[in-house]
Amino acid sequence: MTSSSYKRNQFLARTGVYLFLILVTFISLYPIYFSFISSFKGVQEFTYSKNTLPSVWVLDGYDYVFRNLGILRYLTNSIITVSFGLIGYLYICNATGFALGMLRFKMKLPIFSFLLFFQIFPQMVIASQVYRICSQLGLINTRLGLILVWITYFGPFGTYIMATYYATMPRSLLESARIDGAHIFQQLFHIMIPMAKPMIGTIGIVGSLAMWTELPFSLLLIQKPELRPLSLGIAIMKGEHGIPVPTLSAAIILSIIIPVILYLFFQRSIHQGSTAGAVKG
Amino acid sequence: MKRNFSIQRQEQRDAFILVTPLLLLMLVFTVYPVISNFYYSFTEWKGFGTAEWVGLKNYAKAIQDDKFWHSLKNLGTLVLYIPFGVFIPLLLAAILREGLKGWTFFRSIIYLPTILGYVVLGTIFSIIFSQTGPIIEFLSAIGVENAAAINLLGSSKSAIHIVAVLFVIFTKIGFGTIFFLAAMSGIDSSMFDAAKIDGAGWWRVFFTITVPSISFSIQFFLVLQFIEVFARMYSFIYTLTYGGPGFATYTLEFGIYRQGFQVFKMGYASSWAVILFLLCAVIAAFQIHLIKKGDLI
Repeated sequence: MTSSSYKRNQFLARTGVYLFLILVTFISLYPIYFSFISSFKGVQEFTYSKNTLPSVWVLDGYDYVFRNLGILRYLTNSIITVSFGLIGYLYICNATGFALGMLRFKMKLPIFSFLLFFQIFPQMVIASQVYRICSQLGLINTRLGLILVWITYFGPFGTYIMATYYATMPRSLLESARIDGAHIFQQLFHIMIPMAKPMIGTIGIVGSLAMWTELPFSLLLIQKPELRPLSLGIAIMKGEHGIPVPTLSAAIILSIIIPVILYLFFQRSIHQGSTAGAVKG
Repeated sequence: MKRNFSIQRQEQRDAFILVTPLLLLMLVFTVYPVISNFYYSFTEWKGFGTAEWVGLKNYAKAIQDDKFWHSLKNLGTLVLYIPFGVFIPLLLAAILREGLKGWTFFRSIIYLPTILGYVVLGTIFSIIFSQTGPIIEFLSAIGVENAAAINLLGSSKSAIHIVAVLFVIFTKIGFGTIFFLAAMSGIDSSMFDAAKIDGAGWWRVFFTITVPSISFSIQFFLVLQFIEVFARMYSFIYTLTYGGPGFATYTLEFGIYRQGFQVFKMGYASSWAVILFLLCAVIAAFQIHLIKKGDLI
Protein backbone atom coordinates (compact mmCIF):
# COMPACT_ATOMS: atom_id res chain seq x y z
CA MET A 1 0.00 0.00 0.00
CA THR A 2 2.56 2.58 1.08
CA SER A 3 4.94 1.24 -1.52
CA SER A 4 2.42 1.74 -4.33
CA SER A 5 1.59 5.27 -3.20
CA TYR A 6 5.33 5.95 -3.01
CA LYS A 7 5.65 4.71 -6.57
CA ARG A 8 2.74 6.84 -7.68
CA ASN A 9 4.27 9.89 -6.03
CA GLN A 10 7.55 9.22 -7.73
CA PHE A 11 5.81 8.88 -11.05
CA LEU A 12 4.04 12.21 -10.49
CA ALA A 13 7.28 13.90 -9.49
CA ARG A 14 9.03 12.58 -12.58
CA THR A 15 6.22 13.75 -14.82
CA GLY A 16 6.30 17.12 -13.14
CA VAL A 17 10.01 17.43 -13.72
CA TYR A 18 9.69 16.54 -17.39
CA LEU A 19 6.80 18.98 -17.86
CA PHE A 20 8.92 21.71 -16.30
CA LEU A 21 11.84 20.89 -18.59
CA ILE A 22 9.60 20.81 -21.65
CA LEU A 23 8.16 24.19 -20.71
CA VAL A 24 11.64 25.70 -20.36
CA THR A 25 12.71 24.14 -23.68
CA PHE A 26 9.68 25.62 -25.38
CA ILE A 27 10.32 29.08 -23.93
CA SER A 28 13.98 28.90 -24.94
CA LEU A 29 13.26 27.94 -28.52
CA TYR A 30 10.22 30.10 -29.10
CA PRO A 31 12.01 33.40 -29.93
CA ILE A 32 14.06 31.72 -32.66
CA TYR A 33 11.11 29.70 -33.91
CA PHE A 34 8.98 32.81 -34.11
CA SER A 35 11.60 34.84 -35.99
CA PHE A 36 12.27 31.96 -38.34
CA ILE A 37 8.65 31.37 -39.38
CA SER A 38 7.92 35.10 -39.55
CA SER A 39 10.88 35.68 -41.85
CA PHE A 40 9.34 33.38 -44.48
CA LYS A 41 5.85 34.86 -44.35
CA GLY A 42 4.28 37.40 -46.61
CA VAL A 43 3.32 40.66 -44.92
CA GLN A 44 -0.33 39.83 -45.56
CA GLU A 45 -0.18 36.43 -44.00
CA PHE A 46 1.67 37.68 -40.93
CA THR A 47 -1.20 39.99 -40.00
CA TYR A 48 -3.63 37.14 -39.42
CA SER A 49 -1.43 34.16 -38.63
CA LYS A 50 1.50 34.60 -36.29
CA ASN A 51 2.13 31.31 -34.55
CA THR A 52 1.73 28.78 -37.32
CA LEU A 53 4.10 27.81 -40.09
CA PRO A 54 3.78 29.90 -43.25
CA SER A 55 1.13 28.52 -45.60
CA VAL A 56 3.25 29.79 -48.47
CA TRP A 57 6.98 30.15 -47.85
CA VAL A 58 8.13 33.39 -49.45
CA LEU A 59 11.51 35.15 -49.57
CA ASP A 60 10.17 38.72 -49.78
CA GLY A 61 11.65 39.66 -46.40
CA TYR A 62 15.10 38.38 -47.32
CA ASP A 63 14.89 39.95 -50.74
CA TYR A 64 14.07 43.31 -49.16
CA VAL A 65 16.86 43.30 -46.55
CA PHE A 66 19.43 42.36 -49.18
CA ARG A 67 18.30 44.83 -51.82
CA ASN A 68 17.02 47.81 -49.89
CA LEU A 69 18.51 47.66 -46.41
CA GLY A 70 22.07 46.69 -47.33
CA ILE A 71 22.30 43.84 -44.84
CA LEU A 72 25.25 42.34 -46.72
CA ARG A 73 27.17 45.52 -46.00
CA TYR A 74 26.41 45.25 -42.27
CA LEU A 75 27.35 41.60 -42.28
CA THR A 76 30.68 42.31 -43.98
CA ASN A 77 31.34 45.18 -41.56
CA SER A 78 30.70 42.95 -38.57
CA ILE A 79 32.95 40.23 -39.92
CA ILE A 80 35.80 42.69 -40.61
CA THR A 81 35.55 44.64 -37.37
CA VAL A 82 35.08 41.58 -35.16
CA SER A 83 37.96 39.69 -36.86
CA PHE A 84 40.48 42.48 -36.39
CA GLY A 85 39.07 43.21 -32.94
CA LEU A 86 39.54 39.57 -32.05
CA ILE A 87 43.21 39.54 -33.06
CA GLY A 88 43.95 42.52 -30.84
CA TYR A 89 41.79 41.17 -28.05
CA LEU A 90 43.54 37.79 -28.03
CA TYR A 91 46.99 39.37 -28.01
CA ILE A 92 46.08 41.73 -25.16
CA CYS A 93 44.38 39.05 -23.06
CA ASN A 94 47.26 36.59 -23.49
CA ALA A 95 50.10 39.03 -22.98
CA THR A 96 48.52 40.65 -19.92
CA GLY A 97 47.09 37.37 -18.64
CA PHE A 98 50.47 35.63 -18.89
CA ALA A 99 52.16 38.44 -16.99
CA LEU A 100 49.52 38.55 -14.26
CA GLY A 101 49.10 34.79 -14.00
CA MET A 102 52.70 33.61 -14.06
CA LEU A 103 55.30 36.34 -13.80
CA ARG A 104 56.35 37.80 -10.47
CA PHE A 105 56.49 41.55 -10.36
CA LYS A 106 55.67 44.50 -8.17
CA MET A 107 52.24 46.04 -8.58
CA LYS A 108 50.75 42.73 -9.70
CA LEU A 109 47.85 42.70 -7.24
CA PRO A 110 47.01 46.39 -7.63
CA ILE A 111 46.92 45.94 -11.42
CA PHE A 112 44.69 42.90 -11.01
CA SER A 113 42.25 44.78 -8.79
CA PHE A 114 42.36 47.71 -11.20
CA LEU A 115 41.30 45.47 -14.12
CA LEU A 116 38.55 43.82 -12.12
CA PHE A 117 37.26 47.14 -10.89
CA PHE A 118 37.06 48.82 -14.27
CA GLN A 119 35.62 45.90 -16.20
CA ILE A 120 32.14 46.17 -14.73
CA PHE A 121 31.21 49.73 -15.65
CA PRO A 122 28.44 50.15 -18.22
CA GLN A 123 29.35 51.74 -21.52
CA MET A 124 27.08 54.68 -20.77
CA VAL A 125 29.13 55.82 -17.76
CA ILE A 126 32.04 56.63 -20.05
CA ALA A 127 30.22 57.04 -23.37
CA SER A 128 30.20 60.83 -23.62
CA GLN A 129 33.90 61.09 -22.79
CA VAL A 130 34.87 58.20 -25.05
CA TYR A 131 33.03 60.00 -27.80
CA ARG A 132 34.85 63.25 -27.05
CA ILE A 133 38.27 61.55 -26.95
CA CYS A 134 37.59 59.63 -30.15
CA SER A 135 36.56 62.77 -31.98
CA GLN A 136 39.74 64.52 -30.82
CA LEU A 137 41.78 61.57 -32.06
CA GLY A 138 39.86 61.43 -35.35
CA LEU A 139 38.49 57.97 -34.55
CA ILE A 140 34.79 58.67 -35.10
CA ASN A 141 33.46 56.71 -38.07
CA THR A 142 36.53 54.51 -38.25
CA ARG A 143 36.78 50.78 -37.69
CA LEU A 144 40.02 51.35 -35.80
CA GLY A 145 38.25 53.50 -33.21
CA LEU A 146 35.56 50.91 -32.58
CA ILE A 147 38.15 48.12 -32.39
CA LEU A 148 40.31 49.97 -29.85
CA VAL A 149 37.32 50.79 -27.70
CA TRP A 150 36.05 47.21 -27.86
CA ILE A 151 39.44 45.76 -26.91
CA THR A 152 39.65 48.14 -23.97
CA TYR A 153 36.12 47.34 -22.85
CA PHE A 154 36.16 43.55 -23.26
CA GLY A 155 39.90 42.96 -22.69
CA PRO A 156 39.98 43.09 -18.88
CA PHE A 157 37.53 40.21 -18.47
CA GLY A 158 39.36 38.01 -21.00
CA THR A 159 42.63 38.92 -19.33
CA TYR A 160 41.27 37.89 -15.97
CA ILE A 161 40.24 34.48 -17.34
CA MET A 162 43.60 33.96 -19.05
CA ALA A 163 45.44 35.01 -15.90
CA THR A 164 43.59 32.43 -13.80
CA TYR A 165 44.48 29.86 -16.46
CA TYR A 166 48.17 30.77 -16.71
CA ALA A 167 48.34 30.71 -12.92
CA THR A 168 47.59 26.97 -13.00
CA MET A 169 50.45 26.24 -15.41
CA PRO A 170 53.80 25.14 -13.90
CA ARG A 171 56.41 27.84 -13.54
CA SER A 172 59.08 25.36 -14.55
CA LEU A 173 58.00 25.95 -18.16
CA LEU A 174 59.14 29.51 -17.81
CA GLU A 175 62.40 28.58 -16.15
CA SER A 176 63.39 26.04 -18.77
CA ALA A 177 62.53 28.52 -21.52
CA ARG A 178 64.86 31.01 -19.88
CA ILE A 179 67.68 28.51 -19.73
CA ASP A 180 67.20 28.09 -23.49
CA GLY A 181 67.64 31.82 -23.77
CA ALA A 182 64.11 32.59 -24.99
CA HIS A 183 63.17 36.24 -24.60
CA ILE A 184 59.77 37.31 -23.39
CA PHE A 185 57.92 37.24 -26.71
CA GLN A 186 59.39 33.83 -27.57
CA GLN A 187 58.24 32.63 -24.16
CA LEU A 188 54.78 34.01 -24.86
CA PHE A 189 54.31 32.87 -28.47
CA HIS A 190 56.29 29.62 -28.55
CA ILE A 191 55.59 28.18 -25.15
CA MET A 192 52.69 29.79 -23.30
CA ILE A 193 50.17 30.39 -26.07
CA PRO A 194 50.41 26.84 -27.51
CA MET A 195 49.88 25.45 -24.00
CA ALA A 196 46.87 27.64 -23.35
CA LYS A 197 45.00 26.85 -26.57
CA PRO A 198 41.83 25.42 -24.99
CA MET A 199 41.24 28.52 -22.90
CA ILE A 200 42.20 30.82 -25.76
CA GLY A 201 39.49 29.15 -27.83
CA THR A 202 37.04 29.84 -25.05
CA ILE A 203 37.83 33.52 -24.59
CA GLY A 204 38.05 33.93 -28.37
CA ILE A 205 34.48 32.80 -28.80
CA VAL A 206 33.20 34.67 -25.77
CA GLY A 207 34.98 37.82 -26.96
CA SER A 208 33.81 37.62 -30.56
CA LEU A 209 30.21 37.05 -29.49
CA ALA A 210 30.46 40.05 -27.18
CA MET A 211 31.73 42.23 -30.03
CA TRP A 212 29.25 40.80 -32.53
CA THR A 213 26.31 41.78 -30.31
CA GLU A 214 27.68 45.05 -28.92
CA LEU A 215 25.50 48.11 -29.37
CA PRO A 216 26.26 51.26 -27.33
CA PHE A 217 29.77 52.03 -28.62
CA SER A 218 28.89 51.19 -32.23
CA LEU A 219 25.87 53.45 -31.98
CA LEU A 220 27.94 56.39 -30.79
CA LEU A 221 31.14 55.93 -32.78
CA ILE A 222 29.74 54.78 -36.12
CA GLN A 223 27.40 57.24 -37.77
CA LYS A 224 28.04 56.42 -41.40
CA PRO A 225 25.55 53.81 -42.60
CA GLU A 226 28.21 52.14 -44.76
CA LEU A 227 30.31 51.31 -41.68
CA ARG A 228 27.51 49.99 -39.48
CA PRO A 229 27.95 46.57 -37.92
CA LEU A 230 25.01 44.16 -37.84
CA SER A 231 23.84 44.69 -34.27
CA LEU A 232 23.62 48.43 -34.91
CA GLY A 233 21.89 47.79 -38.23
CA ILE A 234 19.23 45.67 -36.51
CA ALA A 235 18.72 48.19 -33.71
CA ILE A 236 18.25 51.00 -36.24
CA MET A 237 15.89 48.96 -38.43
CA LYS A 238 13.88 48.20 -35.30
CA GLY A 239 13.56 51.90 -34.56
CA GLU A 240 12.43 52.81 -38.05
CA HIS A 241 8.69 52.78 -38.42
CA GLY A 242 7.05 50.90 -41.19
CA ILE A 243 9.49 48.04 -41.53
CA PRO A 244 7.23 44.99 -41.61
CA VAL A 245 7.85 42.16 -39.15
CA PRO A 246 8.77 39.56 -41.82
CA THR A 247 11.50 41.89 -43.10
CA LEU A 248 12.85 42.59 -39.63
CA SER A 249 12.72 38.86 -38.86
CA ALA A 250 14.73 38.10 -41.98
CA ALA A 251 17.39 40.54 -40.82
CA ILE A 252 17.41 38.92 -37.39
CA ILE A 253 17.78 35.43 -38.81
CA LEU A 254 20.68 36.57 -41.00
CA SER A 255 22.38 38.20 -38.03
CA ILE A 256 22.18 35.13 -35.81
CA ILE A 257 23.30 32.50 -38.34
CA ILE A 258 27.01 32.88 -37.62
CA PRO A 259 26.69 32.93 -33.81
CA VAL A 260 24.34 29.92 -33.87
CA ILE A 261 26.70 27.92 -36.11
CA LEU A 262 29.60 28.85 -33.83
CA TYR A 263 27.53 27.65 -30.92
CA LEU A 264 26.76 24.32 -32.55
CA PHE A 265 30.46 23.65 -33.13
CA PHE A 266 32.00 25.18 -30.03
CA GLN A 267 29.34 24.55 -27.45
CA ARG A 268 31.78 23.18 -24.91
CA SER A 269 34.06 26.19 -25.13
CA ILE A 270 31.15 28.56 -24.87
CA HIS A 271 29.77 26.81 -21.82
CA GLN A 272 33.22 26.85 -20.30
CA GLY A 273 33.47 30.55 -21.04
CA SER A 274 30.44 31.31 -18.92
CA THR A 275 31.96 29.70 -15.86
CA ALA A 276 35.65 30.46 -16.36
CA GLY A 277 37.05 32.70 -13.69
CA ALA A 278 34.07 32.21 -11.42
CA VAL A 279 33.90 28.51 -10.64
CA LYS A 280 36.98 26.70 -9.47
CA GLY A 281 38.26 23.72 -11.42
CA MET B 1 72.76 35.56 -5.75
CA LYS B 2 73.61 38.28 -8.20
CA ARG B 3 72.22 36.21 -11.07
CA ASN B 4 68.98 35.70 -9.19
CA PHE B 5 68.67 39.39 -8.73
CA SER B 6 69.11 40.09 -12.43
CA ILE B 7 66.50 37.43 -13.30
CA GLN B 8 64.08 39.17 -11.00
CA ARG B 9 64.76 42.47 -12.68
CA GLN B 10 64.40 40.89 -16.08
CA GLU B 11 61.02 39.42 -15.06
CA GLN B 12 59.91 42.78 -13.76
CA ARG B 13 60.82 44.39 -17.08
CA ASP B 14 59.16 41.61 -19.11
CA ALA B 15 55.95 41.90 -17.15
CA PHE B 16 56.00 45.63 -17.64
CA ILE B 17 56.31 45.20 -21.43
CA LEU B 18 53.38 42.79 -21.48
CA VAL B 19 50.92 44.72 -19.32
CA THR B 20 51.59 48.19 -20.70
CA PRO B 21 49.40 48.07 -23.85
CA LEU B 22 46.22 47.19 -21.97
CA LEU B 23 46.96 49.65 -19.20
CA LEU B 24 47.56 52.41 -21.75
CA LEU B 25 44.32 51.61 -23.58
CA MET B 26 42.47 51.63 -20.28
CA LEU B 27 43.98 54.93 -19.24
CA VAL B 28 42.82 56.54 -22.48
CA PHE B 29 39.42 54.88 -22.94
CA THR B 30 38.31 54.03 -19.40
CA VAL B 31 40.10 55.83 -16.57
CA TYR B 32 40.42 59.23 -18.18
CA PRO B 33 36.76 59.14 -19.30
CA VAL B 34 35.62 58.27 -15.78
CA ILE B 35 37.63 61.15 -14.32
CA SER B 36 36.72 63.75 -16.91
CA ASN B 37 33.11 62.66 -16.58
CA PHE B 38 33.29 63.82 -12.94
CA TYR B 39 34.43 67.21 -14.15
CA TYR B 40 31.71 67.55 -16.78
CA SER B 41 29.02 66.61 -14.26
CA PHE B 42 29.66 70.02 -12.67
CA THR B 43 29.15 71.87 -15.94
CA GLU B 44 26.51 72.80 -18.39
CA TRP B 45 27.64 71.16 -21.61
CA LYS B 46 25.95 70.09 -24.83
CA GLY B 47 28.37 67.28 -25.58
CA PHE B 48 30.29 69.57 -27.90
CA GLY B 49 31.54 73.15 -27.65
CA THR B 50 32.48 74.76 -24.37
CA ALA B 51 31.41 73.63 -20.94
CA GLU B 52 30.31 76.15 -18.34
CA TRP B 53 30.96 75.47 -14.66
CA VAL B 54 27.70 75.35 -12.70
CA GLY B 55 28.75 73.62 -9.47
CA LEU B 56 26.24 71.22 -8.00
CA LYS B 57 23.33 72.40 -10.11
CA ASN B 58 23.08 69.17 -12.13
CA TYR B 59 22.90 67.07 -8.99
CA ALA B 60 20.30 69.34 -7.45
CA LYS B 61 18.31 68.98 -10.65
CA ALA B 62 18.66 65.20 -10.64
CA ILE B 63 17.14 64.77 -7.20
CA GLN B 64 14.14 66.80 -8.30
CA ASP B 65 13.78 64.94 -11.57
CA ASP B 66 10.96 62.40 -11.88
CA LYS B 67 12.91 60.54 -14.53
CA PHE B 68 15.77 60.02 -12.13
CA TRP B 69 13.58 58.60 -9.37
CA HIS B 70 11.72 56.49 -11.91
CA SER B 71 15.01 55.02 -13.06
CA LEU B 72 16.03 54.18 -9.52
CA LYS B 73 12.61 52.71 -8.77
CA ASN B 74 12.82 50.61 -11.92
CA LEU B 75 16.25 49.34 -10.94
CA GLY B 76 14.73 48.46 -7.56
CA THR B 77 11.93 46.53 -9.25
CA LEU B 78 14.44 44.66 -11.38
CA VAL B 79 16.47 43.80 -8.28
CA LEU B 80 13.35 42.31 -6.66
CA TYR B 81 13.24 39.76 -9.48
CA ILE B 82 16.84 38.67 -8.93
CA PRO B 83 15.95 35.94 -6.35
CA PHE B 84 13.80 34.24 -9.01
CA GLY B 85 16.55 34.77 -11.55
CA VAL B 86 18.88 32.88 -9.22
CA PHE B 87 16.49 30.22 -7.95
CA ILE B 88 15.20 28.95 -11.30
CA PRO B 89 18.63 28.19 -12.81
CA LEU B 90 19.66 26.68 -9.48
CA LEU B 91 16.66 24.36 -9.58
CA LEU B 92 17.26 23.43 -13.22
CA ALA B 93 20.91 22.68 -12.53
CA ALA B 94 20.00 20.50 -9.55
CA ILE B 95 17.58 18.55 -11.76
CA LEU B 96 19.99 18.18 -14.67
CA ARG B 97 22.84 17.19 -12.37
CA GLU B 98 21.09 13.87 -11.76
CA GLY B 99 21.60 12.96 -15.39
CA LEU B 100 18.07 12.46 -16.67
CA LYS B 101 17.75 11.04 -20.13
CA GLY B 102 18.58 13.66 -22.73
CA TRP B 103 19.93 16.19 -20.25
CA THR B 104 22.86 17.28 -22.41
CA PHE B 105 20.49 18.07 -25.26
CA PHE B 106 18.40 20.10 -22.88
CA ARG B 107 21.45 21.94 -21.62
CA SER B 108 22.32 22.90 -25.22
CA ILE B 109 18.85 24.23 -25.94
CA ILE B 110 18.43 26.41 -22.89
CA TYR B 111 21.72 28.18 -23.51
CA LEU B 112 20.82 29.03 -27.09
CA PRO B 113 19.04 32.37 -26.39
CA THR B 114 22.15 33.65 -24.59
CA ILE B 115 24.08 33.41 -27.88
CA LEU B 116 21.72 35.80 -29.65
CA GLY B 117 22.69 38.85 -27.61
CA TYR B 118 20.50 41.58 -26.17
CA VAL B 119 19.93 43.55 -29.38
CA VAL B 120 18.35 40.59 -31.13
CA LEU B 121 16.49 39.35 -28.04
CA GLY B 122 15.11 42.81 -27.30
CA THR B 123 13.96 43.21 -30.90
CA ILE B 124 12.29 39.79 -31.02
CA PHE B 125 10.52 40.31 -27.69
CA SER B 126 9.29 43.73 -28.73
CA ILE B 127 7.47 41.98 -31.58
CA ILE B 128 6.31 39.02 -29.51
CA PHE B 129 4.85 41.21 -26.76
CA SER B 130 3.43 43.91 -29.01
CA GLN B 131 -0.29 44.44 -29.33
CA THR B 132 -0.19 42.96 -32.79
CA GLY B 133 2.07 40.11 -31.71
CA PRO B 134 1.63 36.36 -31.37
CA ILE B 135 0.79 36.35 -27.66
CA ILE B 136 -2.25 38.56 -28.09
CA GLU B 137 -3.27 36.56 -31.15
CA PHE B 138 -3.04 33.38 -29.10
CA LEU B 139 -5.06 34.87 -26.22
CA SER B 140 -7.78 35.98 -28.64
CA ALA B 141 -7.82 32.55 -30.25
CA ILE B 142 -8.45 30.78 -26.95
CA GLY B 143 -11.25 33.22 -26.24
CA VAL B 144 -9.80 35.65 -23.73
CA GLU B 145 -12.11 38.65 -23.62
CA ASN B 146 -10.71 41.98 -24.74
CA ALA B 147 -7.38 40.38 -25.55
CA ALA B 148 -6.82 43.01 -28.20
CA ALA B 149 -6.85 45.70 -25.51
CA ILE B 150 -4.04 44.09 -23.52
CA ASN B 151 -0.82 45.99 -24.05
CA LEU B 152 1.83 44.38 -21.91
CA LEU B 153 4.74 46.58 -22.92
CA GLY B 154 2.64 49.63 -23.67
CA SER B 155 1.14 50.06 -20.24
CA SER B 156 3.26 51.89 -17.73
CA LYS B 157 2.15 49.55 -14.97
CA SER B 158 3.10 46.24 -16.53
CA ALA B 159 6.02 47.23 -18.77
CA ILE B 160 8.79 47.16 -16.17
CA HIS B 161 7.60 43.79 -14.86
CA ILE B 162 7.66 42.26 -18.34
CA VAL B 163 11.14 43.71 -18.84
CA ALA B 164 12.21 42.26 -15.47
CA VAL B 165 10.87 38.78 -16.20
CA LEU B 166 12.53 38.75 -19.61
CA PHE B 167 15.85 40.26 -18.60
CA VAL B 168 16.44 39.02 -15.07
CA ILE B 169 14.85 35.58 -15.47
CA PHE B 170 14.55 34.52 -19.10
CA THR B 171 17.88 35.76 -20.47
CA LYS B 172 19.77 34.31 -17.47
CA ILE B 173 18.28 30.80 -17.41
CA GLY B 174 20.80 29.25 -19.79
CA PHE B 175 23.83 31.01 -18.42
CA GLY B 176 22.79 30.42 -14.82
CA THR B 177 22.07 26.73 -15.30
CA ILE B 178 25.43 26.10 -16.96
CA PHE B 179 27.11 28.12 -14.25
CA PHE B 180 25.51 26.18 -11.40
CA LEU B 181 26.01 22.83 -13.12
CA ALA B 182 29.73 23.51 -13.23
CA ALA B 183 29.68 24.47 -9.57
CA MET B 184 27.68 21.36 -8.60
CA SER B 185 30.05 19.06 -10.44
CA GLY B 186 32.54 19.93 -7.71
CA ILE B 187 30.36 18.58 -4.89
CA ASP B 188 31.65 15.35 -3.38
CA SER B 189 29.17 12.67 -4.55
CA SER B 190 29.51 10.72 -1.29
CA MET B 191 27.48 13.49 0.36
CA PHE B 192 24.53 12.69 -1.88
CA ASP B 193 24.92 8.97 -1.26
CA ALA B 194 24.94 9.51 2.49
CA ALA B 195 21.78 11.60 2.27
CA LYS B 196 20.10 8.89 0.22
CA ILE B 197 20.92 6.26 2.84
CA ASP B 198 19.41 8.56 5.46
CA GLY B 199 16.26 8.62 3.33
CA ALA B 200 16.29 12.39 2.75
CA GLY B 201 13.81 13.61 0.11
CA TRP B 202 14.76 15.57 -3.00
CA TRP B 203 14.00 19.02 -1.61
CA ARG B 204 15.81 18.24 1.61
CA VAL B 205 18.90 17.21 -0.32
CA PHE B 206 18.55 20.34 -2.41
CA PHE B 207 18.38 22.71 0.55
CA THR B 208 20.72 20.96 2.98
CA ILE B 209 23.42 19.66 0.64
CA THR B 210 23.32 21.14 -2.87
CA VAL B 211 22.70 24.79 -2.01
CA PRO B 212 25.08 25.07 0.98
CA SER B 213 27.85 23.28 -0.92
CA ILE B 214 27.88 25.85 -3.69
CA SER B 215 27.06 28.91 -1.62
CA PHE B 216 30.17 30.65 -2.93
CA SER B 217 29.03 30.24 -6.54
CA ILE B 218 25.54 31.41 -5.63
CA GLN B 219 26.95 34.60 -4.12
CA PHE B 220 29.09 35.09 -7.20
CA PHE B 221 26.12 34.64 -9.52
CA LEU B 222 24.10 37.05 -7.40
CA VAL B 223 26.76 39.71 -7.96
CA LEU B 224 26.75 38.95 -11.70
CA GLN B 225 22.98 39.49 -11.72
CA PHE B 226 23.44 42.91 -10.09
CA ILE B 227 26.06 43.79 -12.69
CA GLU B 228 23.66 42.77 -15.46
CA VAL B 229 20.85 44.92 -14.09
CA PHE B 230 22.93 48.01 -13.35
CA ALA B 231 25.47 47.86 -16.14
CA ARG B 232 24.49 45.58 -19.04
CA MET B 233 20.88 46.43 -19.82
CA TYR B 234 21.24 49.26 -22.27
CA SER B 235 20.93 47.30 -25.55
CA PHE B 236 17.95 45.35 -24.25
CA ILE B 237 16.05 48.48 -23.20
CA TYR B 238 16.99 50.28 -26.40
CA THR B 239 15.45 47.62 -28.60
CA LEU B 240 12.63 46.37 -26.36
CA THR B 241 10.94 49.49 -24.99
CA TYR B 242 13.21 52.47 -25.70
CA GLY B 243 12.62 53.44 -22.09
CA GLY B 244 8.89 53.81 -22.62
CA PRO B 245 6.02 54.11 -22.39
CA GLY B 246 6.88 57.60 -21.13
CA PHE B 247 9.79 56.77 -18.89
CA ALA B 248 8.25 53.66 -17.37
CA THR B 249 11.23 51.49 -18.23
CA TYR B 250 14.02 54.04 -17.87
CA THR B 251 17.17 52.85 -16.18
CA LEU B 252 20.14 55.05 -15.27
CA GLU B 253 22.05 53.74 -18.30
CA PHE B 254 19.23 54.51 -20.67
CA GLY B 255 18.53 57.87 -19.06
CA ILE B 256 22.15 58.92 -19.64
CA TYR B 257 21.77 58.08 -23.30
CA ARG B 258 18.50 59.96 -23.71
CA GLN B 259 19.53 63.10 -21.82
CA GLY B 260 23.04 63.20 -23.19
CA PHE B 261 22.86 62.05 -26.77
CA GLN B 262 19.28 62.87 -27.66
CA VAL B 263 18.50 66.17 -26.01
CA PHE B 264 22.16 67.18 -25.63
CA LYS B 265 22.08 67.90 -21.92
CA MET B 266 25.40 66.17 -21.59
CA GLY B 267 26.49 67.94 -18.42
CA TYR B 268 23.29 66.83 -16.74
CA ALA B 269 23.64 63.29 -18.12
CA SER B 270 27.16 63.23 -16.68
CA SER B 271 25.76 63.72 -13.19
CA TRP B 272 23.64 60.59 -13.70
CA ALA B 273 26.75 58.83 -14.95
CA VAL B 274 28.62 59.75 -11.78
CA ILE B 275 25.81 58.33 -9.65
CA LEU B 276 25.72 55.16 -11.74
CA PHE B 277 29.51 54.95 -11.45
CA LEU B 278 29.28 55.06 -7.66
CA LEU B 279 26.58 52.37 -7.55
CA CYS B 280 28.64 50.14 -9.85
CA ALA B 281 31.77 50.78 -7.78
CA VAL B 282 30.00 49.25 -4.79
CA ILE B 283 29.07 46.18 -6.85
CA ALA B 284 32.63 45.96 -8.20
CA ALA B 285 34.01 46.08 -4.66
CA PHE B 286 31.74 43.15 -3.74
CA GLN B 287 32.92 41.18 -6.74
CA ILE B 288 36.59 41.80 -6.05
CA HIS B 289 36.02 40.83 -2.42
CA LEU B 290 34.44 37.54 -3.54
CA ILE B 291 37.18 36.80 -6.07
CA LYS B 292 39.82 37.30 -3.40
CA LYS B 293 37.87 35.37 -0.79
CA GLY B 294 37.36 32.48 -3.21
CA ASP B 295 41.08 32.41 -3.98
CA LEU B 296 40.28 32.74 -7.65
CA ILE B 297 43.41 34.83 -8.20
